[in-house]
Amino acid sequence: MSDLGPLGLSLRVASLATLLIVAAGLPVAWVLARVNFRGKALVAGILVLPLVLPPTVLGYYLLQVLGRRAPVGHWLEHTMGITIVFHWSGAVVASAVAAFPLFLLPARGAFESVDPALEDVARLLGRSEPSVFWAVTLPLAWRGLAAGVVLAFARSLGDFGATLMVAGNIPGLTQTAALAIYDAVQVNDAARAGWLTFWISLVSVLALVIVQRTLPARGLAR
Amino acid sequence: MSASGPHPDEVLDVRLVHPVHSGLTLEVVLRLGREIGVVFGPSGAGKTTLLRLIAGLATPDSGHVHLEGEALFDAARRIDRPLRRRRVGMIFQDDWLFPHLSVAANIRFGLKVWRRDQAEARLAEVATLCGVGALLDRRPMTLSGGERQRVGLARALAPRPRLLLCDEPVSALDLSNRHALLERLRAVQRAEAIPVLYVTHSTSEAIALGSRLFLLEHGKIVAEGAPLDVLSSAGRLATGSISFEGVRNVFAAVVESHAPEHGASRLRLDEGPELIIPFLDRPPGSRLLVAIRADEILLAQGPTAGLSARNQIPGLIERVAPHGHEAEVVVRTGGLAWIVSLVEPAVEQLELKPGAPVHLIIKARSCHVLGEGAVGS
Repeated sequence: MSDLGPLGLSLRVASLATLLIVAAGLPVAWVLARVNFRGKALVAGILVLPLVLPPTVLGYYLLQVLGRRAPVGHWLEHTMGITIVFHWSGAVVASAVAAFPLFLLPARGAFESVDPALEDVARLLGRSEPSVFWAVTLPLAWRGLAAGVVLAFARSLGDFGATLMVAGNIPGLTQTAALAIYDAVQVNDAARAGWLTFWISLVSVLALVIVQRTLPARGLAR
Repeated sequence: MSASGPHPDEVLDVRLVHPVHSGLTLEVVLRLGREIGVVFGPSGAGKTTLLRLIAGLATPDSGHVHLEGEALFDAARRIDRPLRRRRVGMIFQDDWLFPHLSVAANIRFGLKVWRRDQAEARLAEVATLCGVGALLDRRPMTLSGGERQRVGLARALAPRPRLLLCDEPVSALDLSNRHALLERLRAVQRAEAIPVLYVTHSTSEAIALGSRLFLLEHGKIVAEGAPLDVLSSAGRLATGSISFEGVRNVFAAVVESHAPEHGASRLRLDEGPELIIPFLDRPPGSRLLVAIRADEILLAQGPTAGLSARNQIPGLIERVAPHGHEAEVVVRTGGLAWIVSLVEPAVEQLELKPGAPVHLIIKARSCHVLGEGAVGS
């Protein structure tokens, strides 16, 4: 089933991107929900920019930051030994950035829906800050967080523009399913395009079902 | 009289200054032993803020909060213990139960660092004490309001707090649940022997509960002592600094005798006359507060025959103060000052002047015993 190669790459890229998103997005969402600071609205706005920017513009910005001649890209390649551009790790970064707001928005809302009074009660009952987070905040916010995870995964699975700009379209190396479908259509390979489309659609619909089964019940957790 | 003398077995020692908003600064000195102290005052007096400052949910501007000799907060010594180390329990108007946990898990929440067997024993103990033993497997969502507050109480007590703070915990409950929880709280305080500070603007709660009352007005404690004494203090009532939703006459009294066949009971007011009220199921000798609305008292120039009202009390007019179309007449009977509200023409017709003798005419039904239900209306 060599035809499924791009699909396997897509799943791997989307999984790693989702991990990145959750690792960065959990603390950011919590800070936006719980801490007030100057310029909060501006920061929150910048963080959801990927949602409204054209994917190619987003990719262009990423190249400016992560390219081999850009300071960050240079440091990553020569100090950390990580190549981003024209490498599948570039696809991970690009799709993660593109999908980040889709996790951040529901996650922030989920944290905001947990009444701080409940956290104060937990503190009065002797719990430390990490314990308050794990025993109260997280369980009460988890439905919104889970929905955010699924949405971000689905979005990064289908990323096209940003991935193309940063990682390129190299078959077997950076060609994800979305890119492979585009190629197949370009060369009139209807069977391959249909096959990949079927699988991507199936995974996406599954993700949507999970979100719908998770989100409406949120009211239960107050 | 904002400062009290040293309390013999004081456990809680609070002295703090804190600006609440531009028009209100809390300046409170408060000492409490292992008893129920009631902070009583009108809304906006700063009661809830005071409780939050003592709990550590807000940080005072200056002053100190000492509990069992330990500084929870001390501005001069730069001490501000984190919430989790204060060992202060609190219950609120909302129950704030953790909705994702069972009743048992809610109560166990504060026992995380306890040895398992000790935690289970304590869980069983407070569950019995608070009457929630049958609810342990339930979820908060399935509980009634009264049940929720009992679970909240059990949860707050479980880790053996050194102080229990109550912020109007019964105000969302109906009357019977209200009385049940107050009784429960008294029993709990006796069993656990901890100081309890209870905030309310309800006179009936203050009387039913407290052994010590702190009257908080405009951010300051203006009086403290036994609830009956503070609330019945005539001078304070005459100045209107306590008003019970329109009730201006509140007197301490003792039950003298009963006449159940007439549906009546006889009270003797402290430093004052006898008063017939509707039958009251309390043993003779019981002390209580009785309240009469200023607009439910009639005045007559002399004793009057053929009246249905059961009380005719002779007195002397002390003062007549017009308020628009109405007048407030202060009548003295022995050591008590009564406030009677009349319409202006009645004052002229009766030629009410300071020094003139009058009779107060009061229906038994107009006499409300506080602590027996809602006052006024």
